[in-house]
Amino acid sequence: VAQYSAQLDGVFVALADPTRRAVIRRLGQAPTSVGELAREFPMTLPSFLKHVRTLEANGLIRTTKSGRVRTCVLDRQRLALVEDWLTEQRRVWAERTDRLEQFVTDRTEGEQ
Amino acid sequence: VNPDLDLTLQRVIRAPRAVVWRAWTDPSQLEQWWVPAPAVARVDRLEAQPGGAFVTRISDDGVEFGPHMDAAFLVVDDRERLVFTNAVDSRWTGASGVRTAAARHAASRDELPRGARRLSAGEPALPTVVLTVS
Repeated sequence: VAQYSAQLDGVFVALADPTRRAVIRRLGQAPTSVGELAREFPMTLPSFLKHVRTLEANGLIRTTKSGRVRTCVLDRQRLALVEDWLTEQRRVWAERTDRLEQFVTDRTEGEQ
Repeated sequence: VNPDLDLTLQRVIRAPRAVVWRAWTDPSQLEQWWVPAPAVARVDRLEAQPGGAFVTRISDDGVEFGPHMDAAFLVVDDRERLVFTNAVDSRWTGASGVRTAAARHAASRDELPRGARRLSAGEPALPTVVLTVS
């Protein structure tokens, strides 16, 4: 549970930036080299690499080096944690409001 | 409501608003529906006022209670609207922060459909639950 929570924290940290979200969207199309990605984003290379490192550290992308080219690949499984979490939240609150509805309906009928 | 950031849940509950309001703000009533049976909920603090604590505990056997939720109320409009967040816990004493957040939430009130209860996962930095009764 603690590990899941830490992973989820990391995913949300990684997603909390427009550049990193754009990189994730871009990598959703195809694995891309760092150099090619960097050319598409209007910022200095060191700034861009910082974003890549954040994404990698939080498990949203993996990078592999072949010769002088480092390629970034999206980890869809890690990204799916967000969806799982949202689904779980939706379920918890749907069930909770089911119980609320049942509770207040019973009380209302009891008063009549 | 930002569809990119908010998780919205709408329920129309056919009951007098006073009954729904009491179900949320009376500890002995909240305990009866807050968690799924056979788990048992216990309300430690339910201070329905801006900045007030909202602390519940949960137990599998009704004997030993563990932590469940530690949150704070942001907006409490009698029988109309209840907003709480677990981005800050009950030890939070940021009174000015409450007023700011309350004002911000009040400003967005008109965006909510009448009769809707909005349950929002909020921005990652401010998981907030907004309840609107009409």
